[in-house]
Amino acid sequence: MNGTQIALLAVGIVFTVDAVLLLGLITLKAVHRQRMESHDQRRSAFLGVLSRRVSFPLHTDYIDPKVVNDGAFLDAVIDLRNTMAGPEIETLAGIIDRYGLVKQQAARLRSRFPLGRRLRAAVVLAEMGDESSAPVLIEFLDDREPEVRIQCARGLGRMHHTPAIDAIIERFGQESPWVRSRFADTLVGFGAGAVWSLLAYVRVNHDHDEGNEAVIEAIRILGIIGERDVGPALIDLLHRFRDPELKIAAIDALGYIGGPMAVTPLIGFLDADDWRIRNKAAHSLGEIGDPLANDALRRGLEDANWWVRRSSAAALAGLSEGLEVLHQALHSGDLFARDAAAEALADCGELGRAREREEQGQATDADRQLLGFMTEGALVP
Amino acid sequence: MSEAKKVLVADDSEAVTTLLVTALEMAGYEVTIAKNGNDAYEMGKTGSFDLALLDHLMPGLLGIEVIARWQADGYEIPVIMLSGVDDERTIVDSLDLGAVDFVRKPFRLPELMARIRQRLRD
Amino acid sequence: MILDVLRWVGYGIITYFILMQLYLIFLGLMSAVAMRRTHHLNRFGRVGDMLSSQTSPPVSIVIPAYNEAMGIIESVRSMSIVGYPRFEIVVTNDGSTDETLQRLIDGFKLERVRIPYRPDIPTAPVRAIYRGRGSVDITVIDKENGGRADALNAGINAARYPYALCTDADVILDAKCLVSAMRRVVEDRQRTIAVGGNIRPLNGSKVELGHLIRSEVPKRLVPRMQVLEYVRTFLASRPAWSRMDALPLVSGAFGIWKRSAVIAVGGFTTGHMGEDMDLTMRLHRYHIDNKIPYRIVYEPSAVIWTEVPDTLRVLKRQRIRWHRGLMTAVRDFLPMTFNPKYGKVGMVTWAAMFLFEFLAPIIEFTGWFLIPLAFLLGALNVANLVAMLGLALGVGLMSSLLALLLDESFGYFNGPADTARLVVMAFIENLGLRQLTVAWRIRAIIGGKSTRTWGNMERKGVANLGLEG
Repeated sequence: MNGTQIALLAVGIVFTVDAVLLLGLITLKAVHRQRMESHDQRRSAFLGVLSRRVSFPLHTDYIDPKVVNDGAFLDAVIDLRNTMAGPEIETLAGIIDRYGLVKQQAARLRSRFPLGRRLRAAVVLAEMGDESSAPVLIEFLDDREPEVRIQCARGLGRMHHTPAIDAIIERFGQESPWVRSRFADTLVGFGAGAVWSLLAYVRVNHDHDEGNEAVIEAIRILGIIGERDVGPALIDLLHRFRDPELKIAAIDALGYIGGPMAVTPLIGFLDADDWRIRNKAAHSLGEIGDPLANDALRRGLEDANWWVRRSSAAALAGLSEGLEVLHQALHSGDLFARDAAAEALADCGELGRAREREEQGQATDADRQLLGFMTEGALVP
Repeated sequence: MSEAKKVLVADDSEAVTTLLVTALEMAGYEVTIAKNGNDAYEMGKTGSFDLALLDHLMPGLLGIEVIARWQADGYEIPVIMLSGVDDERTIVDSLDLGAVDFVRKPFRLPELMARIRQRLRD
Repeated sequence: MILDVLRWVGYGIITYFILMQLYLIFLGLMSAVAMRRTHHLNRFGRVGDMLSSQTSPPVSIVIPAYNEAMGIIESVRSMSIVGYPRFEIVVTNDGSTDETLQRLIDGFKLERVRIPYRPDIPTAPVRAIYRGRGSVDITVIDKENGGRADALNAGINAARYPYALCTDADVILDAKCLVSAMRRVVEDRQRTIAVGGNIRPLNGSKVELGHLIRSEVPKRLVPRMQVLEYVRTFLASRPAWSRMDALPLVSGAFGIWKRSAVIAVGGFTTGHMGEDMDLTMRLHRYHIDNKIPYRIVYEPSAVIWTEVPDTLRVLKRQRIRWHRGLMTAVRDFLPMTFNPKYGKVGMVTWAAMFLFEFLAPIIEFTGWFLIPLAFLLGALNVANLVAMLGLALGVGLMSSLLALLLDESFGYFNGPADTARLVVMAFIENLGLRQLTVAWRIRAIIGGKSTRTWGNMERKGVANLGLEG
């Protein structure tokens, strides 16, 4: 064959492939449409039947057992489950039980592949929220696919299956950051029930030389859950931490956990060597809002570090009698303290309110001082 | 003989609308469905409803925006906000704007029905 | 002798285009593989979980605004309801000459505050800073005009959170776009410094009261051609680039940037007509030079919608601007091109950008003259010529069809009529529209007076799309 013939052959092949692709596109489009419409129709029908059952349990629309293989039926069950919170869940649970949905999905989860099907089974189990699926979900917390593990944890969290808490925390340290953060969400969902296990985890694992991210995350979760009872134990651990990052995380968490027991130790940390610790301590004292901290925070306004000054001032702005402290600080001999106080007063809206009062002719002395201190249009670099 | 009370249900989740339609119709009310905020707003203007159940997060206008626009246009439709978004700001905003009640999703059906019956009794 | 040269050059030019399309097909196949996995996760992985997560990193949405008085309130309000647990909005009023600032003040109950503005990135002077007192967490920076890049830099300076979503005022965000993009960040918090999003033309779609109701392929040819272009690049190129860890461009219309990384390289370059491509490449260079582990990824399910030029005139200005931006970038990053030190970015994607995106119009333009000349002089065989042109056309069609297939498998955006229109477009764009874009890019290369960047359509931050053929 000469060159021209080869070229023409190539053209023929290429255009054939094009035709195949075009055909594929048209078919795919048509199939998609048809499948989606049919799926939606069936789902609507199932929603109708299930709604009637749930509203009037004596209603006896017949549901063919074969529907368990229909994705539309599963979707309907899950969607309905997600909208309900009351006794009607019992009816739905009864249906799930009678039609063996949990067993069926568990079987799919156990199959080797494909990933899509297994993941969908995990999601379905997670969202059906049926207690009977708990053992399966715990088993698959060790699945090789991270997204499956995430869904299993999620499901256990949604049904508040407290025995799973320890299982999840055990695996916390070995997981990648993404999975760990999703586990963290689940643990937050468990709420107060998870705090003692989390604390135990921190207690056991904090003394490692490196790789403390998991422990830091656990401490953060304690802060988000905000269970006050755990405060004293955390404070105790705080003094034992070697890694400054852990200290910072714990101080941060204490800001949200709060409690009168936390204030004094936090005030102590305002004298730490590490500016980040002082900064966090100031921030957390602001979160807790106990005026006991006013004096210490006042001293914080004169800290050598800009961040610490700023946090101290911001904390004072939120405390009762803190605003007075800030106004007084405007007269401080320390330039930085004056500046920090002024910024905080502006940030918290005090400056704006002072301006308003001045416009209405109701400015107080403090207002006038504040306004006099601010330079219009000048911005601090 | 009184007419059936008319209820507007607006939610993009078909599960919610189906469940509510089933329960409400069985209770003897006349129900109309909207799947997004824009439709809800339009229907509210023309439908003379006795009560509206609005979701917050919908395609198109948000539940809050629908209430605001109805108010601005002068339509007085009692609204029960139904929302999975349960941050305080949304609740406060919706009640400020004129919603008469706020029910969190997922909701307890008997409780929701009781509140609806109470609203529609007056 | 001359005839031989002409013959080789003539066939060479056509072969060049065939190779370019083969490269695109290769990218398309790789994109298919890359998206298949994330497709499962998107369909079943419940990305929406992150919506209620308190562990999601907070984001600052940074919006530059110049003379946007007409729609700025609606835009900001529509952004304020994007699904995400914690975020703030930072609008930079870039010295607008209309009432943009006043509208913002009135619409969001803004109050002037004295907040330290730390110019980590130097910008044009900032006149004032405002904070909102209502339910939307909004900060407005009022500054002197400096261009889009400068406005973005100011917004980034003022942003409170570690990640900044840089976008434009008239973009419509899909409800899940922020969650989808930030998911990529959370996957690898340490290394991820930027995430690019998927941009679709809004033209022709049904928008009501500031919300997208239904997407439709535009009726006019000019925007319709762009729909095809955008599908080709955002579905068939970028996923592959991202998978290779060599994404050369995070679009200005939707980019999540790690604040500290952006500040480290000095922010967006002002006056550059392709500032997003420039920043992305500088981030690559900086992290590779300094041996800092990093990654820049693309997320196909982070979808946003934006208006694209509706007429040839506006399109021309846009394409000239893009190409000038590309030219500047090619010059700036020449040392990285084909440089193995820069890994796949230098050896594959940027090399391809240089080879296929930058050189293509020059080569094609040359071909317009050379090939007919060669043919007339008898250097080219009719059958061969037809065959090769046919091949080029066929392979070009293949890459378009592949892209449309990917859109169908992973996008579900268009109805059957829409897809049909796009297929037809793939044929007819070769009948002149594409050639026009080539002519415009030659115009850009020749130079002359460059248009001001801050105008109606020009301020679009979507820089070069990458290979368009």
